[in-house]
Amino acid sequence: MRWKLALVLMMMAVFAFVVAACDGEEAADEAPAVAQAEMTPEPMTSRLATVQERGHVICASRNDVPGYGSLDANGRNVGFDIDLCRAVAAAVLGDSEAIEIVLITAAERGPTIQSGEVDVLVRTVTWTTSRDAQWGNYIHTTFYDGQGFMVSKDLGVNSAYELSGASVCVTSGTTTELNMSDFFRQNNLDYNPIVFEDTDVVLDAYQEGQCDVFTNDRSQLAALRSALPNPGDHVILPETISEEPLGPVVPHGDEQWFDLVKTVIAGIIYAEAYGVNSGNVAAMAAGDNVKVKRLLGTEGSFGQEDLGLKDTFMQDVINSVGNYGEIYNRNLGPEGIDLPREGGRNALWANAPCTDCPKGGQIYAPPLR
Amino acid sequence: MNQLLYVQGVPFWRNVVVLRWAVQIVSAILVIAVIAGFFVNVSAEIAARDIPFGYGFLDREAQIPIGESVIGYHPSDSFAYGLLVAALNTVKASVLGVILATLLGILVGVARLSPNWLLNRIALVYIEVFRNIPLLVQLLFWFLIVLSLPTVREGYIAFDAFYLSNSGVNLPWPVPQDGFWPWALATVIGIVVAVIVARRLHWRETETGKPSYPILAGLAIAIGVSVIALLILGPMTIEVPTPEGRFGRPQGGAELSGSFTALLAGLVIYTSSFIAEIVRAGIQSVSKGQTEAARSVGLSGMLTLRHVTFPQALRVIIPPTISQFLNLTKNSSLAAAIGYPDLVSVASTMTQTAPAISLILVVMLTYLAMSLTYSLIGNLYNRAIRFRGT
Repeated sequence: MRWKLALVLMMMAVFAFVVAACDGEEAADEAPAVAQAEMTPEPMTSRLATVQERGHVICASRNDVPGYGSLDANGRNVGFDIDLCRAVAAAVLGDSEAIEIVLITAAERGPTIQSGEVDVLVRTVTWTTSRDAQWGNYIHTTFYDGQGFMVSKDLGVNSAYELSGASVCVTSGTTTELNMSDFFRQNNLDYNPIVFEDTDVVLDAYQEGQCDVFTNDRSQLAALRSALPNPGDHVILPETISEEPLGPVVPHGDEQWFDLVKTVIAGIIYAEAYGVNSGNVAAMAAGDNVKVKRLLGTEGSFGQEDLGLKDTFMQDVINSVGNYGEIYNRNLGPEGIDLPREGGRNALWANAPCTDCPKGGQIYAPPLR
Repeated sequence: MNQLLYVQGVPFWRNVVVLRWAVQIVSAILVIAVIAGFFVNVSAEIAARDIPFGYGFLDREAQIPIGESVIGYHPSDSFAYGLLVAALNTVKASVLGVILATLLGILVGVARLSPNWLLNRIALVYIEVFRNIPLLVQLLFWFLIVLSLPTVREGYIAFDAFYLSNSGVNLPWPVPQDGFWPWALATVIGIVVAVIVARRLHWRETETGKPSYPILAGLAIAIGVSVIALLILGPMTIEVPTPEGRFGRPQGGAELSGSFTALLAGLVIYTSSFIAEIVRAGIQSVSKGQTEAARSVGLSGMLTLRHVTFPQALRVIIPPTISQFLNLTKNSSLAAAIGYPDLVSVASTMTQTAPAISLILVVMLTYLAMSLTYSLIGNLYNRAIRFRGT
C-alpha cells in the first residue's frame, strides 16, 4: 500500500502548489485594486460618460408625498424632487424627460447611494454630517425644513410638550425617527413609537387613529394633510424640534459629477435671482446683462468645459424645467401644496441686481464665473 | 510509481482512485476560488466606496426608538442591547407563531380528511386561499382589519379590564411579588410528583386492567399543589390595565400591539395552511390496512387516529413541518411593513448611525442561529419518535 501513501503525498503537493498559486493571484489582484482606490479617486469611466451613453439619468426618489414626489393624473412623476432630477437630465442630455425614477423607502436611501447604482438621490434627504461622510456628497440645500407633529384637532393638544402617553407614528430610517427619540427622551415624556417602512402605511395608521401623532418634516406634514379627507380636522403643533436641510446627494468618488450637479442647482437659483425664467430665456440670452449671458452661455464661461457640458446647457434647463422659483411654485407653492415662501427661509436671499437688499431667505447660489 | 500509474494495467487517467481524488481536489479548488474571489471583490469595493464596516458601534448608545420589548428598553441602551431586544421580539413572534400554527395546522389537516363533506370542503378552501396569496399581502390585509377596529378611546372594554381596539389588546396580567420563586419551586415539585404518580398509575392500568385515570390524577396533583401554594404564598398580584392621560391609552397589564396581533394572525394562518397539507399527506401515507386493523379490533375513529394513524404519520410529518417553522421565523421579517419592531426593522433603523453591512451580517447570523436551533430541536424529536428495530 505504499503507492497509496505516495498518491496522497503527491496530491497534497499539487494541492499546496495550486493554493499557493491562487494566493499569489489573489495578492496580485488585490494589490492593484487597493492601489487604484487610493491613488485615483475617480473611477475608470466617469459617471457623465456613463449617463450620456445610457441616455437617461437615474434618480432615486419617491411617489408618495404630494409636492415632493408623486404621480399626476397621467401617471407622470411630478414634484419638487423630481424636477431637480429633470434639471440634471436637461443639463446633461438636453432632455428633461430622459429620467428614470427608482422608488425607494427612506431606509433604503443610504445603501442605494452608497452603492452608486443611481446617479442622484433626491428623496427629501436631510443633510447630516454622518450621512455626508458615509452615504455620498450633498449638493446644496434646496429646501429648509424642520420636524413637527400633527395631531387630530379633537384631542385638544396645543403643544408638543403635552404629548406624554401618546402613540407616535413615524417612517423608519429617517432623521425624524431619531429626532423624535431625542425629543421625548430629553423632555422625559413617555410615548409609544410605532415605526413603519412606508409613508403610506404611516398615514393609514394615523388616519385610523392607531397612533395619536404623526411626526415628519413640517412641509411633508402639510402636504400629507392636504391630501386627507378633512384637512381642517388636523393641526400641526407649533414646535419645530429639528433642523432639516433637504437637498440632492450624488455618490462618492466622482468629483466631476458632483461639481456638475452642484452647478445645475446653483444655476436654477441664480436664474431666479436674475429674473431668467422659462418664458424669457431666448430674450435674456440676447440681452445685455453680462451675468445673465454668462449663465446662459452666450458670453464667457463659468467652467462648463471642465464639467463636460456645452456652454448653453442652462438654457435647456430653464426652458424645460424653469428656475428655482418656478419649480417651487409649481410643486410646493400656490400651484402645488401651497406652502408659504415669501418671508420664510426658503425665499431668496436677495434679488439681483441688488445683491445687498436682503429678502431674508436662505436660498443662495455661489457666483457663476 | 509504475505501480501507482498502471494499477493492474489500467492507465492513471482511468484509474478510479486517481479520478476520485482529482474530482475532489478540483471541486475544493473551485469552492475556495469562488469564496476567495467574492471576499476579495467585496473588500476592494468596500474600500473603494468608503463604505464603513466594523463592530465598534455595538457598545455605543443606540438612541433609536423601539416600540415593544420583552425585557425593557431605553434609547440610552447600547446597540448590542437594542439588537437583543429586537431579536427577542422576533423570537416572541416566531415561538408563539410556531405553536399556534402547529395546532391550527393539525386541526385543518385532520378536517381536510374528515368524512363530513362540509368540514372537508371548508378546510380545502381555507388551505387553497391562504397558501396561494403572498404573505406580505395577507399581512397588510390583517393589518388593515386591525386598523378598522375603533380607536383606543372608543374601543371595546369588558369588565373595565379587557381592552380591544386598533391599538391592540390589553389584558390583566400577573406581576411577580416576593413569594414568586418559592411558588415556582413548589409548582415544579408538584409537577414532578404528578408525573411520578401518573406513570405509576399508568403502569398499574396496563398491568391489571383496572381503570386508574393516570392523566386525571396527575393533573389534579399538579394543579392542586400549585393553587394551594398560590393561596399560601401570594406570589403574584394581578395588574389591571387602566386608561391614563389625555390619550386614554391603557397602561399596565399585558399588551399585544395591533401590529403584533396582525403579524401573528398573518404568520399563523399562512403557515398553518402548509402544515395542514403536510398533516394530510402524513396521515394518508399510513397504509389503509393499519386503519382497518385498528377498526377491526374495535377502536373508534378517534382512538384509531390517536393511537394508530397519527403516531405513524408523525414520522412523515415532522421533517417538512420543521422547515415550515423555519419559514415562519424568516417570514416574520416582513413585520417591518406593519410596524412591528422585529430584528430586520430595528436593524434597518440602526443603519442610520451604524454600518449597514455589519448590521446585515449580525441579522443574518441571528436568523441562522435561530433556524439551526429549531432544526436541532426538531431533529432530536424526530430521532426520539423514529422506528426502532425491535
